[in-house]
Amino acid sequence: MASLVRSWIPLLILQSFLVAVAFGSKEAEQFSEALLLKPLPDRKVLAHFHFENRAPPSNSHGRHHHLFPKAISQLVQKFRVKEMELSFTQGRWNHEHWGGFDPLSSMNAKPVGVELWAVFDVPQSQVDTSWKNLTHALSGLFCASINFLESSTSYAAPTWGFGTNSDKLRYGSLPREAVCTENLTPWLKLLPCRDKDGISALMNRPSVYRGFYHSQRLHLSTVESGQEGLGSGIVLEQTLTVVLQPETTSVETNMQPSWSLSSLFGRKVVGSCVLAKSSNVYLQLEGRLGHESKNVDTEIEAHKLWKNADFDLSLKPDRVLRESSGLLFIFDIDKSSDSEPFDLGLNWKLPSKWSCQQAPLQASRFLMGSGNERGAIAILLKATESQEKLPGRELTDGRCTIKANIFQIFPWYIKVYYHTLQIFVDQQQKTDSEVLKKINVSPSTDKVSSGMLEMMLELPCEVKSAAISIEYDKGFLHIDEYPPDANQGFDIPSALISFPSHHASLDFQEELSKSPLLSSFKEKSLVRSYTEVLLVPLTTPDFSMPYNVITITCTIFALYFGSLLNVLRRRIGEEERFLKSQGKKTGGVKQLLLRLTAKIRGRPIEAPSSESPAAESSFLSTKLIFKIILIAGAAAAWQYFSTDK
Amino acid sequence: MLADDMACNARNEYPAQVFNNENHKLNLYGDNVEVDYRGYEVTVENFLRVLTGRHENAVPRSKRLLSDEGSHILLYMTGHGGDEFLKFQDAEELQSHDLADAVKQMKEKRRFKELMIMVDTCQAATLFNQLQSPDVLAIGSSLKGENSYSHHLDSDVGVSVVDRFTYYTLAFFERLNIYDNASLNSLFRSYDPKLLMSTAYYRTDLYQPHLAEVPVTNFFGSVMETLHTDSVYKAFSSKTSNNKINSEMPLNQLSEHDELQKANIQNDELKTEKQKCPYTQMRVDLHKKLEKLENVDTVVNLGIAVMLLVVMVSSSLL
Repeated sequence: MASLVRSWIPLLILQSFLVAVAFGSKEAEQFSEALLLKPLPDRKVLAHFHFENRAPPSNSHGRHHHLFPKAISQLVQKFRVKEMELSFTQGRWNHEHWGGFDPLSSMNAKPVGVELWAVFDVPQSQVDTSWKNLTHALSGLFCASINFLESSTSYAAPTWGFGTNSDKLRYGSLPREAVCTENLTPWLKLLPCRDKDGISALMNRPSVYRGFYHSQRLHLSTVESGQEGLGSGIVLEQTLTVVLQPETTSVETNMQPSWSLSSLFGRKVVGSCVLAKSSNVYLQLEGRLGHESKNVDTEIEAHKLWKNADFDLSLKPDRVLRESSGLLFIFDIDKSSDSEPFDLGLNWKLPSKWSCQQAPLQASRFLMGSGNERGAIAILLKATESQEKLPGRELTDGRCTIKANIFQIFPWYIKVYYHTLQIFVDQQQKTDSEVLKKINVSPSTDKVSSGMLEMMLELPCEVKSAAISIEYDKGFLHIDEYPPDANQGFDIPSALISFPSHHASLDFQEELSKSPLLSSFKEKSLVRSYTEVLLVPLTTPDFSMPYNVITITCTIFALYFGSLLNVLRRRIGEEERFLKSQGKKTGGVKQLLLRLTAKIRGRPIEAPSSESPAAESSFLSTKLIFKIILIAGAAAAWQYFSTDK
Repeated sequence: MLADDMACNARNEYPAQVFNNENHKLNLYGDNVEVDYRGYEVTVENFLRVLTGRHENAVPRSKRLLSDEGSHILLYMTGHGGDEFLKFQDAEELQSHDLADAVKQMKEKRRFKELMIMVDTCQAATLFNQLQSPDVLAIGSSLKGENSYSHHLDSDVGVSVVDRFTYYTLAFFERLNIYDNASLNSLFRSYDPKLLMSTAYYRTDLYQPHLAEVPVTNFFGSVMETLHTDSVYKAFSSKTSNNKINSEMPLNQLSEHDELQKANIQNDELKTEKQKCPYTQMRVDLHKKLEKLENVDTVVNLGIAVMLLVVMVSSSLL
């Protein structure tokens, strides 16, 4: 007994040592979830779900994951993706009311439909094949028709206009793609807790899709390990941004509506995801300038922040952070459970008004011209009120300028004439060299590739409005290339306006712990905004024409050949002629025979009347007998001669 | 395959919800719905590709019908149709000849064990007129010359929510509980022509088992008989086979699709039997015997000599 124990104790020690070594040498995978709630000035509420999953660098073979979704790591490995972003959006981000300068709107205000861009780590000749296979794999993973981006007519290769400067970047957008539960479900299945636990359990599908704007985004980037022999780590960031309108019972129109999590989503948070490293809910209020007393050490002062004359929160925040433009309340939901659900509510007591900071110029795009032959596209950039207060304005040659990058894709059937590009600043036309600093044009090829335009404008800081217009001709599609609803029109994907000299970031100076959401806000991200999608009616054929043509052609053939055959073959009065011919002379051979027999007999040619049938019958019978006798004789002779030897 | 996005359509008062009844009790578009082909991808070409399995290399597995010779497949089609056709997206038609050809190809490639086709359109029974492959069961909601009607209008949503045939099919299944062993016969008998306002016609001439013995869970729902084996790769004899069995492989693969249009259920065992006709058997035996001989040449020479002898004898006798 004792010997047995002694034999396996060292084994146990060895095992635990090995296990410790194994765990100690590798970094662990990390998952964290966060929810940011923000009331918006126009009586709506923004809910931003943020999930971050990190896989550390490890050996490329034998990669085991326990938190990170295997589908994504296989995707990255197979297609050698360095960075990728896929977003599904419905609704338009209202830049005027919801802001354009904060990191949230720069990163999450996406164009309608599906947008996909990816940077690959393969040789230049294989980038297109990798893109094609990636689109197919993503379409299977997310139940969407992303595979339509595989054809070269639907994607482009931007260079500097897009923000990421790489020649292995491909960008494609499908504005007409629907977004529904079947896209959200596989997206949620990539999370360790799916939609069963934690913050993702709040996502009640009818509530999410009832919103004014909803956008689910998946961003993955690889992190080089820098060490030899180790593969790269992957950082997967999934965000869902929803703008909802809470139901209000108050009659006053200038009061903000009070809301709570259960009134917005119909559910409460019952516990955090146990696999998450951190699980927080943030409430951000803008426009609350911290002009109150600076020291929040006293209990009363701290209490006043979240329960005061203007509003009060239903739960006590764990921490409060301040920033130059607002307050951030942090709630930790680890302590919540089934018995104590977390239901944060905000109750407004007095009417409040504030405004969100906007991008320096607000962009909108529209079509000009009429008819089915040609038209023009115009982009209008208007200065917003917050223009003067923005940092990051540059001084070039002593003048203050704002730099704006414009990136557009044109499908091949919108044949753009790049020489007709006109730029107007404050309603005065400017020559290109004054305002246009850099331009990159990739003209389209009919049915092969789409056109791309990237330009950088340098506008004076005091500009009130700027407009860019460009003319195009409408192309013709082959009848097979028309979609089933061709008369609705065809889409031109959104243009991207970005401001390279402006960077949006939210820095909460008192932030101590590493919260992924806040650290992503802290990074300086490019201020960007997307314009509207344009709907262009093209000339569509009458799709019933092939059927009509076939019917008419067949009718004409039938009439022609029918009448021709009738004319050639049909004889009118054929019946009467036949009956008449019975009484007339028999023609041809019969007459000849009659003549011969008459000559042999020596009788004169008789008229072919009733006599001839009688004569014929007797004549025939003798002839028959003669024939029989002849044949019998021949047979007998043959028999005699053949048997005789 | 859903051609239009109904649940999240901007006109839908109840986003992400599709009801089959005015009382809004049952949301058919649940949380786990999976739609593989939607929008412009729903074409006759893609449909036939899915059935026959002829996809491009890049098409992912979730968009393929991964069935084999033990699968039970349910194919449910609804929409507008007519005499021997079904309309796709208002621009294309699927003809009964195309469908019969695809099913024939599937049978050749052994892509199903049993196939059930359910069609809910006007003159639905004409769509499977041309079917000839065995092990196919088909039911349509109306005969030639009859229309299929919708059941009722939902004034909240503004459209008719369900067709009659589908409504009564769903009502039949809602009445069952988990322990009922309802058969296909009871399902097919439950359609009342007066309520449907059309005759639900079904075709069983290509289907061998009696409908009263076939449980509905063979096609609807994923209920499988799983056989536990100790070792994975050892072949074992089946209890129901009478013929000589060369190799068997138990298949216990679970299906995960839960769509409205397709359900793919795999059966328990796969049997491969090699039963040849007597003529080929004889030839094979002869071949084997010949192979066993050491010197074939002497046999052949002997045979020729014997033949010559026979010819000479017969000619001299004559």
